[in-house]
Amino acid sequence: MTVLFGIFLLTLLVISAIGIVRARNLFVAVMLTGIFSLLMAANFFILDAADVALTEAAVGAGVSTVLLLGALALIPPNESRSKRVRWLVVSVVTLTAITLGYATFENPRLGDPEAPVHQHVAPWYLEQTPVLIDIPNVVTAVLGSYRGYDTLGEVLVVLTAGIGVLFLLGLPGAFGGRKTEDVARGRTYLSHHLVPQVVGQLLMPFIILFALYVQFHGEYGPGGGFQAGAIFAAALILFALIQGEREALTLIPPRVLVVLMATGALLYGSVGVLTMLLGANFLEYGVLSSDPVKGQQWGIILIELGVGISVASVLLAIYHAFASRGR
Amino acid sequence: MGMYYVAAVAIFLTMILALTRALLGPLVYDRVLAVNMFGTKTVLLLSVVAFLYGRPDFLDLALAYALINFIGVLAVLQFFQNRRGESLNSNIDTTPPDGR
Repeated sequence: MTVLFGIFLLTLLVISAIGIVRARNLFVAVMLTGIFSLLMAANFFILDAADVALTEAAVGAGVSTVLLLGALALIPPNESRSKRVRWLVVSVVTLTAITLGYATFENPRLGDPEAPVHQHVAPWYLEQTPVLIDIPNVVTAVLGSYRGYDTLGEVLVVLTAGIGVLFLLGLPGAFGGRKTEDVARGRTYLSHHLVPQVVGQLLMPFIILFALYVQFHGEYGPGGGFQAGAIFAAALILFALIQGEREALTLIPPRVLVVLMATGALLYGSVGVLTMLLGANFLEYGVLSSDPVKGQQWGIILIELGVGISVASVLLAIYHAFASRGR
Repeated sequence: MGMYYVAAVAIFLTMILALTRALLGPLVYDRVLAVNMFGTKTVLLLSVVAFLYGRPDFLDLALAYALINFIGVLAVLQFFQNRRGESLNSNIDTTPPDGR
């Protein structure tokens, strides 16, 4: 059954990908990207990877369409047409595609228990998580504790991306330099449309509640800091869309946003330093409590909070960087 | 159990139709509606698959989509509201079918 669902979804995925490449109008490409992301999330879900699917759902549905449209508002609506065929590019792409296609023949069958990935550390994770950390969602245990260094790296990557966008586009008032008077000059918002206004205001508390649920329930169900951060950012983007950019920047000033971006990563790193001061290795949470299992759980909750704060504020800062530019 | 399979097939068919409309267009509104509908179908598909797999706790995901899908549509509305003021040098037709 999984195979049939997978074949169907992947076929649609290929069709929409070809549609994106062939679309000359960039708005059409953005719309098709939305469909691509929905299909991808359904695909992850079919493969039982609920955590990844939730990330794709939160980022794809809530944030990426909004960011792409924000970028599209600053550029011409059509892709520039190039006359000549670039044979070098075409040959490199074809060669890469053939190599990748050839490589898939070496892959183990889907769900094969003899596959190398199921022989390495996965059995140890599955056996030891109930003993060492005692939480039902092994993915959270792997992300937060066993591979804590990698997750710290990911948070720093997110932070770096945010800093990069702020350097390129700027965020008025973030570093005290520019004035905020001409924020989003010439843009209009949906504040005088009654239906989006009412529905948006009704939905917002539930989205924030859901973000908090995903944040603090990540040990039990699918979710965690990354997903919660994206959903929280989506709620605040909704606020900015229906109330206007200036109100959103008054609610959470850019200066605070920049500090929050760093605070999340700092919280994560400090947990590591704290465990070192308590006499264990970096990010070895067991020492945070007298009971090592409780210590592990505390450590995971703290670092997930750091991840959530960083991701939410970076996504929101990137949105504001696009949306606060006048025309 | 069979009920879920029938529902899944029906959702798949609707997905194909929505994707066709999103690819063919021709109006912006067709594409926006197609994407929105595709989102709704994804929510339904996730719910059906969650019950098919016997993992109703995975409904969290469908819930996330149901809550958040709305935001993308609002962003599209705002985008076109801002575009309308400019001289539309886009070759895409934004007038609704009834010509208002």
